[in-house]
Amino acid sequence: MRAVVFAAVLLLCSPAVSAQTVSRRGSIESHVVGFPQTTPTDTTQVVGDVLLREEGSVRPARWIQLAAGLGLRGDSHDRVEDHWRLDFEDRGVRRARASILRVSASLSAGAFSVEVGKQFIRWGRADVLNPTDRFAPHDYLDVVNPELLAVNGVRPSVQIGNSTLEAVWVPRLTPSRSPLFDQRWTVALPEAEGIRIIDKGAVFPRGSQHGVRWNHAGTRVEASLSYFDGYHHLPAFVVRQPSPEVAEATRAYPALRSYGSDIAVPAGWLTVKGEVAYFTSPNDSTDEYVLYVVQLERQVGGWMLIGGYAGEAVARSRGTLSFSPDRGIARSIVGRAVHAVDPARTMLVELVVRQNGDGAYVKGEYSTLIARSWRLTMSAVGIGGEAHDFLGQYRRNSSGSIALRFSY
Amino acid sequence: MTSATLRMIAGCAGCLVAVAWLPVSLRQPTGTVFAADDGRRIVAEAQQRATSKSMRYQGRLTAFDTGGRVTEKRWTYERFGSHGRSRAVLRFTSPAEVDGVALLIVNHPDRASDQWMWTPAIQRERRIALQDRSTRFFGTDFSFEDLEERDAEQEDHTLVGEEAIDGAVCWKIQSTPRRSRTSQYSKSIIWIRKDIYAPVRLDAYVKDDVVRRRINANLQQVQGIWTAREVTMTDLRRGSRTRLSLDEVAYDVPLRDEDFTVQALRRR
Repeated sequence: MRAVVFAAVLLLCSPAVSAQTVSRRGSIESHVVGFPQTTPTDTTQVVGDVLLREEGSVRPARWIQLAAGLGLRGDSHDRVEDHWRLDFEDRGVRRARASILRVSASLSAGAFSVEVGKQFIRWGRADVLNPTDRFAPHDYLDVVNPELLAVNGVRPSVQIGNSTLEAVWVPRLTPSRSPLFDQRWTVALPEAEGIRIIDKGAVFPRGSQHGVRWNHAGTRVEASLSYFDGYHHLPAFVVRQPSPEVAEATRAYPALRSYGSDIAVPAGWLTVKGEVAYFTSPNDSTDEYVLYVVQLERQVGGWMLIGGYAGEAVARSRGTLSFSPDRGIARSIVGRAVHAVDPARTMLVELVVRQNGDGAYVKGEYSTLIARSWRLTMSAVGIGGEAHDFLGQYRRNSSGSIALRFSY
Repeated sequence: MTSATLRMIAGCAGCLVAVAWLPVSLRQPTGTVFAADDGRRIVAEAQQRATSKSMRYQGRLTAFDTGGRVTEKRWTYERFGSHGRSRAVLRFTSPAEVDGVALLIVNHPDRASDQWMWTPAIQRERRIALQDRSTRFFGTDFSFEDLEERDAEQEDHTLVGEEAIDGAVCWKIQSTPRRSRTSQYSKSIIWIRKDIYAPVRLDAYVKDDVVRRRINANLQQVQGIWTAREVTMTDLRRGSRTRLSLDEVAYDVPLRDEDFTVQALRRR
């Protein structure tokens, strides 16, 4: 792994090699969010952050490619660590000031290829919810604007005709980053009001994770089967109450096994997609449940329209206290419309409505290219519902935001 | 040469046939007689002349929208194989915000192509459904279907006349999709230069209306293949146009079959 890091550093520092084998890009993005309302845990109403991202890849020969990405961050709301270190594992409760976003080597020979290092792995085919996407932790410090995190692992794959068989081995868990306890995306239970929560960090499992996915891209149908054995990247909370006024919460990551499948069928004038996974726990540390999504997709002119239903069926509940945005938006009708106005401008509308009406989320976004390298994105998020609902609990977190990105 | 151009060439040019001995013929208003089979022969010959084992170029896309706004993008294009049996990868390299976005096109001799688009920002590939092929490709005036490279046998070709384009005498050929394949277009009219068997213009129709017009300009011989170094696609319904300039064109470059798969799309 050190060799990969070293190669990546060389890659980011060196302007050498020919233009055909080297590529690099970078961006600086600043993002300001305004919340009209305060919450019991957070009275800050304007939050700003900035991210400098530098990415590059080099392909010294047709059979090998090295890729790397580096991020530097700052923010106004204590979501970034207050000391300097180069983070490689993304295990911190807060974001690191400097982090390796990705660093990997990809080798290919004939139908066989393997990627080693910190890499992005996406499984699944649906757009609104991906129950089979087990190697894709996210940064949920802002729950409605999550950021995909890479995992450290080895990913060999072989292509056999129209099918691909892929295996993944991840020696150490990369967790999803859950909301900070003293900020607005953590909502205290009614019975915990007035109790101060102390963040005791996380206890990480020692074991590795592995998975296998078979994917078939046929003429009339695309389908896959997948298996995962490892740990949930979303945390469950172990709470200890040393005194009536104080609670100590520790993140834990329960053992998880899942069996999944996804399918896409282009029908007459729309595409039908489905994705399902059954989750169980080898040591009974979490619920047994099924998550699924069925969606219809159609492109009309410059519009990409997606609509569907995300569902959940719980086979065995173990009453675990956890942060589960994937299960949180289940049992909902979901929709998304993206409109490419012209080559420079896009509009997006996203909607999630709980089937029982207890929670709803709507997002509108307008993005435009300014000059050649600047992109301005304005968005508004509305959240409503009941306090007991995953979406509804965030009803005081409706917001408006402006993001400005310079790409180079 | 773009795959769009290749599609045009794949649907083009051919051999000059002595009309007298052909069994079926059409009489034009001018009195010129064309054989019913001439269109297919011309197109087949043009396809033959454009055949190569592989191709690579650097593309510079300039899109002019109806409001006068101009945007520029660049891509690299690599094709392995030729015409109805080829695979191509088109990958944006500029501006930075679209860098790495890629499209894999797997052409088939007997049906529409399969296409997948890779978006690095979300680390996902998405299959472009057949019914979505008529939509614009990434803000350009090329639709996904226009990026296919079809085999001449996928359409019926009829020679309908002769016409001069920029002083060069061209065959005018009507191409109609065969039932077996799906197309957004009901027909297209292609102008192929008689002297070099190279297509210089294509009008694509939906019913009786021309909806897209492609002009191939700056024709140059590259490794013996007449290649349009500038292709302009106009969306006549929107009033916008996209100009594609081809740089560093090379044929028969050493490429590997395994670099033209969905898996390989993830690699830059």
